[in-house]
Amino acid sequence: MRDTPLSNCERLFLLKAIEEKKRLDGRQTYDYRNIKITFGTDYGCCSVELGKTRVFCQVSGELVPPKDSRPTEGIMFFNLELSPMASPAFEPNRQSELLVTLNRQLERCLRNSKCIDTESLCVVSGEKVWQIRVDVHVLNHDGNLMDAASIAAISALSHFRRPDVAIQGRDVTVFSPEERDPIPLSIYHMPICVSFAFFLQGSYLLVDPCEREERVKDGLLVIAMNKHREICSIQSSGGIMLLKDQVLRCSKIASVKVSEITELINKALENDRKIRKEGGKFGFAESMPKERITTLKRDEVPVEMTDVKETASDIVDRTETTAEVVPSAVLVGMGTAQIGEGIVNSWALEEDEEDEPQTEDRKTDEVMVISDINSLNLSSSLTHKSATYPRNSLCNVF
Amino acid sequence: MGHGTYMDEDRLTASVAGEVERVNKLICVRPLKTRYNGEVGDVVIGRITEVQQKRWKVETNSRLDSVLLLSSVNLPGGELRRRSAQDELAMRDYLQEGDLISAEVQSIFSDGALSLHTRSLKYGKLGQGVLVLVSPSIVKRQKTHFHNLPCGASIILGNNGYVWLYPTPGHQDEEAGGYYTSMEPVSLSDREVISRLRNCLLALAAHKVLLYDTSVLYCYEASLTHQIKDILKPEIMEEIILETRQRLVEHEG
Repeated sequence: MRDTPLSNCERLFLLKAIEEKKRLDGRQTYDYRNIKITFGTDYGCCSVELGKTRVFCQVSGELVPPKDSRPTEGIMFFNLELSPMASPAFEPNRQSELLVTLNRQLERCLRNSKCIDTESLCVVSGEKVWQIRVDVHVLNHDGNLMDAASIAAISALSHFRRPDVAIQGRDVTVFSPEERDPIPLSIYHMPICVSFAFFLQGSYLLVDPCEREERVKDGLLVIAMNKHREICSIQSSGGIMLLKDQVLRCSKIASVKVSEITELINKALENDRKIRKEGGKFGFAESMPKERITTLKRDEVPVEMTDVKETASDIVDRTETTAEVVPSAVLVGMGTAQIGEGIVNSWALEEDEEDEPQTEDRKTDEVMVISDINSLNLSSSLTHKSATYPRNSLCNVF
Repeated sequence: MGHGTYMDEDRLTASVAGEVERVNKLICVRPLKTRYNGEVGDVVIGRITEVQQKRWKVETNSRLDSVLLLSSVNLPGGELRRRSAQDELAMRDYLQEGDLISAEVQSIFSDGALSLHTRSLKYGKLGQGVLVLVSPSIVKRQKTHFHNLPCGASIILGNNGYVWLYPTPGHQDEEAGGYYTSMEPVSLSDREVISRLRNCLLALAAHKVLLYDTSVLYCYEASLTHQIKDILKPEIMEEIILETRQRLVEHEG
């Protein structure tokens, strides 16, 4: 199903906002959305949330014969899938341009950068090597799939543990996780993609574009970098002309962002490791919050608070002081009066006989109570200038 | 037996949620939430997605994009002549990608795609206004879909679920032939009327009330006691719709 096309006024609005350095969700030009990394119970299972974009990655390994051209190296296989769950524009079994681009970029980022030591994946040279398969599924598309996919892939690879093997001559024994602890992969560095979207012929750029911003972009620059400031891959698409200093500036921004994200990944890995060691509960069931939907619930909406103080003082100055309301007792019927706002009482209309004997008994006490209530109400009316509580006080007056 | 039903162990069960239609022994279920199924003579509002050789592709909330042939539009200036190669090259000057148009369904292709035409002065490119998207099944089929509401705005109820609200034009510019779009700023009072109407339409759509000029008008009048932005709150929406429904029942009966 094709996505509903973006209307002209929406496009103009987005571009105008970008010109004024404003983004739809209130972020700054170089701000990333909230990144959340969670791991599942299996090793190598990772879910990344970049704002509303959700990506899930699973790493698995199996023993296979190696490639003829490289008998001493393991095999890395990358696969990214766009699930129709992610966006109505994604159809199942359809090779779209986006899918091909994402797959190629993920491969270049992780394979060509040699971040995983493939030689250590060799078990028996020429006969058996480990094939590590990285499957990335996109669960929700809200822009910037590339970054989310690369973060998920590298986190899952760092989290993954392959079974331990023992080689005796030509015999290979693979131990199950219960027999021997599985071993992590040897990862040299963590390459992470950072996406820059360009607008209005390259004059404005945004980091981490959301889905709406992606629709109006002119071009995209993806830089894959690691925290040691080594660029693993650069890709520019969209056919925009970029100046040299623009690319240099982007790489500087990317290095800052990559070091932040790498720290985040390491912290998440450390947390998971600690919980597993202590024997606590780990996995998605613990880390994903139970989101209950209630009928009148609203999402939290960020509010622009920059000029709140001036607007508030403006409003206060302009409004006149409210007239002070002094409640007066309204005699409703025999033996009942009403002070304050509220529903008209109907005590007097109903059985008065029942009330009378009671009131006579509590005569003396009532008198004291009334005066207290009266004074209470009067003072409270003076302090409650803006409150409009229906204050209804029924009391018997003599 | 009919569309939207299936036999489940000798029991006829509906496979979609919607209205039951019975014609003699044929029972069909028309779904509530569906893509627009075009019929000849319907008024639709669409957005141009592509400009091709001798036609435009228009998105109309149906399963396939509708087609607007170059021979089915009025040339600017209202001339009647054979379309030349010059016209073909100048297609983008008339209608570009992203433009909104109102059109009528001329015919249906064998694969289900609609062929539209704007061969009347009331159809053509739409200018300033507000588009509201609702489900096609709640737009009532009527004699005319263009209404000038007495509250001060005009409405086009597209059968495909696209409803267009716009300020009532002052005088009709006949010579332009459907391509003249006024870019004069719209007054604040007109804007408020249109915003209120838009919120009312959303309220009616949420409560599955059939949309036609009377129901929209009653809803507008019922909402006058509330602030425009309050109409979207669920409690106030219910109040307004209750009042609208009551008035509609009185009106019918």
